[in-house]
Amino acid sequence: MSALVFEMKDTPDQRLDLSPLVPERLNGLSRKDIQAIEIGTTRETLTVGDAFKVKGKNAQEIHFDGTDERCDKIGAKLAGGEIFVDGDVGSQLGARMTDGKIEVKGSAGVLAGASMTGGHVAIRRDAGDQAAGPAFGETMGMKGGFLTIGGDTGALLGERMRRGLVVVGGKAGDYAGGRMIAGTLVLRGGAGRYAGYGLRRGSLIFTEKPKDILPTFSDSGVMEFDYLLLLEKWLRGTGMRIKLGGRARRLMGDMAVLGKGEMLILA
Amino acid sequence: MPDLKIKGITIVETFAEAFPMVGTRIIITAPTMEWALISARTMTGFATSVIACGAEAGIERTLSRKETPDGRPGVAVLLFTMDADKLQKQLRNRVGQCVLTSPGSACFAGLEGEKRLKLGAPLRFFGDGWQMSKVLGGKRYWRIPVMGGEFLCEDTTGMTKKAVGGGNLLVLGKSHESVLAACTRAVKAMAELPGVITPFPGGIVRSGSKVGSKYKGQIASTNDAYSPGLKGAVNSALPLDVEAVLEIVIDGLTADAIHTAMHAGIHAIAKGGSRTGVTHISAGNYGGNLGPHHFHLKEIVG
Repeated sequence: MSALVFEMKDTPDQRLDLSPLVPERLNGLSRKDIQAIEIGTTRETLTVGDAFKVKGKNAQEIHFDGTDERCDKIGAKLAGGEIFVDGDVGSQLGARMTDGKIEVKGSAGVLAGASMTGGHVAIRRDAGDQAAGPAFGETMGMKGGFLTIGGDTGALLGERMRRGLVVVGGKAGDYAGGRMIAGTLVLRGGAGRYAGYGLRRGSLIFTEKPKDILPTFSDSGVMEFDYLLLLEKWLRGTGMRIKLGGRARRLMGDMAVLGKGEMLILA
Repeated sequence: MPDLKIKGITIVETFAEAFPMVGTRIIITAPTMEWALISARTMTGFATSVIACGAEAGIERTLSRKETPDGRPGVAVLLFTMDADKLQKQLRNRVGQCVLTSPGSACFAGLEGEKRLKLGAPLRFFGDGWQMSKVLGGKRYWRIPVMGGEFLCEDTTGMTKKAVGGGNLLVLGKSHESVLAACTRAVKAMAELPGVITPFPGGIVRSGSKVGSKYKGQIASTNDAYSPGLKGAVNSALPLDVEAVLEIVIDGLTADAIHTAMHAGIHAIAKGGSRTGVTHISAGNYGGNLGPHHFHLKEIVG
């Protein structure tokens, strides 16, 4: 059975709420029913059929082609199945998702992977502010799962994050790991200012020494971490080759709050 | 019916009687294989028989860097007891005292199993509040700060209720030397097989026991029917020319694993034939009424 494909016709004149287009909702629906789903966000009614050409059948594998930064909430609350996006996406990509996989070839807007609890979100290019942060109305950010961002991120990456793993290929913005409760950020291209601001628990792993380190992080020196070897091997199992090695400098903080978090800077 | 013989060695028409046990597997890694083995040997020390050791344990096999979760050299260890509570207690104590303490070690689950046992979960409290939890791919790991750096330990490991303990082979021969050499060969052959351990010293028992004793409070006593020095006094199972009997006890995660190990063991013992001085291969049982698993030598050889 061929994948269910949504091909963008032309740029609609409003933002789209694509949260209904997840396998759980679409399973067993006829093409007509799918085309009738409302995805508009203004008083102008807009349906799937207005914005997309729909092809294929298998709702467990959904493709979006030609989307742009106004296509919000793709894969929100996803509970299983796979979504592939050829294009950019808007805000709240995979927000509150519990399982499944989302792959985006372009960039994502704000709140990508917000309050997700499981599954894997892979963004080939950049992500906006508050990736892995708290979704609207939530007190906590990402609570589990795996988020990979190939490019740069906006500010407040992993804000109020509780659990889970984020790997950033490019540079993270200011306040990366801000007010983080726990979880792990792997930062391959450094971060902006104030990384780890208000960090309670959790780990910020820098493959290279960051430019600015908050004065409220205190140095524990260099030592060996078997955990880094475990993480390296686990990442390799997911297809990501990142050399972490076993040695890192550990800074504990943020001492302005609980101070049980850490920055691990590979040595 | 004539006796079944392999290369002149008589395979006695009997069976090994074995018991259901609960078992688990853990993986111990270290910076070098030497230290992984030191940790594993310590953890599986004093674990020959549940009669007085609390558990039966042993090294299943060594693991290459490719096979371990952290990419360091490792050792797979099997641990068996009679029930889940005892297994939990033994696991906690042994990992806590022998793996946590061992330089550079880390400890991981080695079995999926139908039930979970706590592995790092109770040990994390050693961190006194400085322990960190990390979840990777749905599995929780604990990072416990210690003097040597950090002890990494998976939160839980799997347990199987389908484990079997007490698979065994008795080797009879014309000299102690020949029987010991044959048993050593057999243990070596079994060591390469997955899912089994031979928990006794070097895999071999020289003092097989029978249930009960003439003395009150002694729950097991010498297997007089197989003690060569008592041939003249008791209802002995030994021919007059047998000078020594040694036993190999096998515990396995499944009955099939024990079956395979006994097969490999018998053929390793019989390798040199009767010229080596080995005369019989037999097995221990209690008449078949105690243990539900019966491993008939004839079927295993065939």
